[in-house]
Amino acid sequence: MALDLQPPDGRKRVKVYELRNNDWFDRGTGFCTGTIMGVSFHFLVPACAASVATATTRARAVSSVFLFPPPLGIGNPSLTRATLITGGTANICRIGRPTAARSARDQDHQGRWLSKTARFLSHHFRLTVAPKREYGLTDLYHAIRDLDCLDGTEWHGYGAEFSRGGGMRGDMVRPLPIARDFVNTVQQHLLSIAAADDALSDDLDSYQSIVLPSPDLGNLPEIEQIVRAASMTQNGRDALSKFLIRDDYINRLVPLVSTAEDLESLTDLHRLCNIMKSLILLNDNAIIEMVVSDHIILGVVGALEYDPEFPTHKANHRQYLADQTRYKEVVPIKDNQIRRKIRSTWRLQYLKDVVLARILDDPTFSVLNSLIFFNQMEIVNHIQSNALFLRELFSVFDPRNTDGKRKDDAVQFLHQCAGIAKNLQAPSRAQLFGNFISHGLFAVIAFAVKHPNPAMRTTGIDILVALLDHDPVMMRGYMLKAVNEKKTPLTDTLIDLLHAETDLGVKNQLADAIKILLDPQIPLQDPLARAGPDFFKVRSSNLLSDAFVQQHFDESSKRLFQPLKQLANRASLNDLTFQEVTLYSHLVDILTFFVRQHLFRTRNAIHSEQLAPRVAQLLTAPQKPVKLVALKFFRTLISLQDTFYQALMTHNNTFGLILDIVLETMPRDNLLNSACLELFEFIKRENIKPFIVHVVEKYREKLERITYVDTFQNLTLRYDQMQGYGAEAESTLFSQDEDDTPRQMPLNGQRWQGVKEMDATEEEYFAGSDDEDEWQQENRAALAAGTVYGTASPLVKPLVDYPDDDDEDAMDIKPEDNPEQAAEDQPLNVAEVQCEDASEAAGMPASLTHNLPVPERLAEKRRREEEDEDELVKLATGPKRRSSTSSNSSAGSIHRKKAVSIGSVVSAEKGTMLGANVAPKRIAINLGPAVKPSVPDDPSCEDTPSSNSEKENHRDDSQGEG
Amino acid sequence: MSDLDRAIEQLRACRLIPESQVRELCYKARELLIEEGNVVSVDAPVTICGDIHGQFHDLMELFRVGGDVPDTNYLFMGDFVDRGFYSLESFLLLLCLKVRYPDRITLIRGNHESRQITTVYGFYDECIRKYGSANVWRYCCEVFDYLALGAIVLGASSGLEPTTSYANETTQSSLPIDDGELETEVLNSQGEVTFSTYRQRQRTSSDTSTDSRAISPPRDISAAPGQATPSRTGAPGTGASGDGNGSATTSRTGAVLCVHGGLSPLIDSVDKIRLIDRKQEVPHEGAMCDLLWSDPDEIEGWGLSPRGAGFLFGSDIVKQFNHLNGLSLVARAHQLVMEGYKEMFDGGIVTVWSAPNYCYRCGNVAAILELGEDASNGGCVARSNGEYGRSNGVTDANTVISPGRRYRVFEAAAQDTRGMPAKKPVADYFL
Repeated sequence: MALDLQPPDGRKRVKVYELRNNDWFDRGTGFCTGTIMGVSFHFLVPACAASVATATTRARAVSSVFLFPPPLGIGNPSLTRATLITGGTANICRIGRPTAARSARDQDHQGRWLSKTARFLSHHFRLTVAPKREYGLTDLYHAIRDLDCLDGTEWHGYGAEFSRGGGMRGDMVRPLPIARDFVNTVQQHLLSIAAADDALSDDLDSYQSIVLPSPDLGNLPEIEQIVRAASMTQNGRDALSKFLIRDDYINRLVPLVSTAEDLESLTDLHRLCNIMKSLILLNDNAIIEMVVSDHIILGVVGALEYDPEFPTHKANHRQYLADQTRYKEVVPIKDNQIRRKIRSTWRLQYLKDVVLARILDDPTFSVLNSLIFFNQMEIVNHIQSNALFLRELFSVFDPRNTDGKRKDDAVQFLHQCAGIAKNLQAPSRAQLFGNFISHGLFAVIAFAVKHPNPAMRTTGIDILVALLDHDPVMMRGYMLKAVNEKKTPLTDTLIDLLHAETDLGVKNQLADAIKILLDPQIPLQDPLARAGPDFFKVRSSNLLSDAFVQQHFDESSKRLFQPLKQLANRASLNDLTFQEVTLYSHLVDILTFFVRQHLFRTRNAIHSEQLAPRVAQLLTAPQKPVKLVALKFFRTLISLQDTFYQALMTHNNTFGLILDIVLETMPRDNLLNSACLELFEFIKRENIKPFIVHVVEKYREKLERITYVDTFQNLTLRYDQMQGYGAEAESTLFSQDEDDTPRQMPLNGQRWQGVKEMDATEEEYFAGSDDEDEWQQENRAALAAGTVYGTASPLVKPLVDYPDDDDEDAMDIKPEDNPEQAAEDQPLNVAEVQCEDASEAAGMPASLTHNLPVPERLAEKRRREEEDEDELVKLATGPKRRSSTSSNSSAGSIHRKKAVSIGSVVSAEKGTMLGANVAPKRIAINLGPAVKPSVPDDPSCEDTPSSNSEKENHRDDSQGEG
Repeated sequence: MSDLDRAIEQLRACRLIPESQVRELCYKARELLIEEGNVVSVDAPVTICGDIHGQFHDLMELFRVGGDVPDTNYLFMGDFVDRGFYSLESFLLLLCLKVRYPDRITLIRGNHESRQITTVYGFYDECIRKYGSANVWRYCCEVFDYLALGAIVLGASSGLEPTTSYANETTQSSLPIDDGELETEVLNSQGEVTFSTYRQRQRTSSDTSTDSRAISPPRDISAAPGQATPSRTGAPGTGASGDGNGSATTSRTGAVLCVHGGLSPLIDSVDKIRLIDRKQEVPHEGAMCDLLWSDPDEIEGWGLSPRGAGFLFGSDIVKQFNHLNGLSLVARAHQLVMEGYKEMFDGGIVTVWSAPNYCYRCGNVAAILELGEDASNGGCVARSNGEYGRSNGVTDANTVISPGRRYRVFEAAAQDTRGMPAKKPVADYFL
């Protein structure tokens, strides 16, 4: 050994770093030499770096780094010390046994040097030196050993030597790999000579090399003790791991388990269990891989069955792991290596989840996880690159195949693939799914969701959800493609199932899947994140066929909401079955989602299927959850501030029904009651005039009966105030709205209501980019600055201010004008709605007869129209922001920047949408005058057609700009 | 009913109930919770508990220390799930108890009772692992939406019946027990008093006396009652000045508001909380979000919360809120406190934390807060049955006296009661 240390030649190139003022400076390269001086072995680096020509060769200019194999004086304990050279005044720190002579200052210095060096190494070479209170020499040694493996680093662990005097003495240089062997050997030797008394003492940790006694029942106490002691320090763990691997020790240890079992020696088994635990928790990749290998695993878990912490229990891990039938093959995998990987992954998972679940520490947990992850990646890659395999797999679902069990297995196989795919990176996941889909994954899903066994249905939907989570746009693209090709799209299958499904869990999942699949809005997400093979194809087809998308959406909606529509034939809802209740809840929930996601596109469906009255009908259902869902639907309509939906609300006696709920639940404080109050509070707070007018005029008598909260009195009060100021009141209210809105939006917690599913974008929101955070912070800061919000109820602010120039006009207007005035805000209601409502209107209690409007003077009317348009410009800031944020937030909060792009798409879509909408409006216009006398209350008839349609266009556009 | 009792037994043993039973349980719980107001009225005596976080065995320890369920009334302030290994067992047990004894146990919502949070912090994964699909998670999340947002405890007594424990008797001889009313008391898990403060009835300047044996009070508890004195004794006309007639005082004990997080700038009165439509996922902003996310802090007014949701609020906010609403105390959870409880702002707000050794590694102790029943008025409590304007009925807020508070501090359940780990391995595998 000593011979090994003789310098192969004189000088070696080294990289020189200097430690000065706690910072390391790169001093270029230089040559160093080393020597052995008497009892100490020194490695030193001289300051002869060529690039530091000016640097003095004196010792004080030198800083050095390193190393230290322990001394050569093998056999002589007094020689066990190493020397480190530091910079500055050529302090020599000796590392070794503390001697009496060693002062506290020396120790302190050494400690600091070591920790600095460790930091330096980790900083410059991204090496982690185990964070410990005191950096041991071996840590450094390992750090530098690892350095040795780094490419491109001109760093070799050479040492050279300085004498105390500062002169260069030695000639010895050692390349590191040899040094490592040297260290090993020396350590082992040291251990063997010193084992008896102080092999495990602290100061020897750094040299510790571990040799376990031969595996034998008699030696178990000693093995346990050594292993435990070694696990205490990083050095010990490293040394132990090395020994275990080199000696294949675990393999030799394993047979003891059965021996001990034969002898029924519980103590030995407990010891073995402790040893195994410690060995696994050494957290060494190689050891863990060895543990799960075929010939060892059973022995290891066998030992782990006897946990001394639960002496009365014995687990049965072996029984589980030895059961070969657990591994199923739908289509045999021929590659032996992959098969082995599958097996060991399974065992790793079992170790992680079951055997070690309670004792696992974070590092070992992550080692297990990463081993599992890399194995899975390899397995999945193998599968998807194996076309033959895939073809065979999907051929299982051939209708001619009657082997049901095999089909079930294949579904579960795919389910597992999908589960693993979730952990993969987006591109490889896209590739995998793309591959599966092209082989016919949708048919598999269709097969599974129709399965008689609810568990299989859940599995099938799980696969679907995995796909949807991966890329909803892609999925919608496939659906549309199917429709285009006149095939039955998966959505139709799912809708039928939703109607028929009896398992509540499955039903829930179905509803969620349908929601995403039919989501009429095309979310624009980062295309890079989902660059699947079919990505561009699908995306472009999506963009090109907007009308087609609309048509598909309408047809699917028709199918989907069929049960809701059929409610019309039902006289009473008192006999709803449990299944029906759930179904209606889901349907209304989906409808609410659609309305919020895309108010324009959903109009058709709601309108042509007359869904709003049906939802209103559900308000009368005895089941409170259904009432709540229906209430939420209308609450969403209100918050949209869209004329079309406002019209829906003011028909069908909706508010009457809601007020009935308030009256029913009145003095009680419960969820339903709070939800109703919140709805009216919202109308009051946001000052939504059409509703205030409608509610107060029509239901004044009901409102007056509700006195336990002031909400309803306030509504009435506000209405009365409006009456007094006519057009000006209206305009000022709007202009107030303008500055209210930005302030109130963040206050309005309801923006988020009903967002139930966690989707990718929402997660994104949570992760929160910096931009977003800043924006939020600003908002919050603004909020926090004005702390008076608690008291700033809408009541406090003046309802009306009095613009001077309009005073006269204000006086001119008679109070009776106001209902119609209010009506101007309302949409022209499409003719069909009116007719259909005629029956309903008969049932409406109040208001058809009173408030007959007095015809306006033409001039005044024109003036007001102009004014309205002006207001619309102002409105652009208010509602625009409102609608963009609300659609944005309900979409699951895409980042604000993206909201802009979405908005522009919306406005682009508007192009086609408007065309569809304009026509019915014209009809309404023509009808208007004719109907006017008979139905004076109807807003659409009252209105000036041109201003109205313009207004609506304005609004729509402004929403688009958001 | 016997089904439910069986389920409770099973869950107490930390064994899960089948999915179909979970579904039924959640359905029943929903029916119950839908009838609860956003702020539930609870009568003292009640034991208030903070975060549990799926630490099932510590929840059992809590029941051991605080008394078992039908015998003790409990109010849990949310965060039943996530982080610990037994979120399902813990939450389902609490839910079973709620359904079984609806008047004995109150559950309110914490910020972890949310779809978004549970998918990140473990409950979702636990459901998948233990039941094989997300169905149970969906059922539970549905229940979360129905949970009340807060509770108000009425009729708590201002003084505590002194606990007679061995440790107590030996050390308190010098204390003016006769003059003072026991205001706070801290007990360890063996039921021994480790610390106590007194509220004096006389109008003397030194209002409270502190147990000399105090074990490092978790906050400035010794100072706080003293500072609070002016407002309390400043209302001598309320009967607090009356010699000896202590029972008269107790009738004005203020109500205690319990929420998970704290106050909101949008909520200036308890009645405002009732105007929230709570059946929704916890929003990212707004009143409902704030109630579940805010934290008290040593600041003036409102501040930005480092959590990214909710706000920080200072002592002035708490004082004003308590004054306006006739409250004597806000009890909340949401923040880890190493001593299990922490009173702040002159006792205007208290944080109660009931997850000992949080995340199995924080080394903290846990606490529960007992509020006694005020028997002075024959158990009658002036309140309005949860109707509006309740706070109007309360007399001048100056007279509000804080309730007597008994904290029971306990440590994590011993390791050996944890049982064997119970993660279910996959049955079959293909890959």
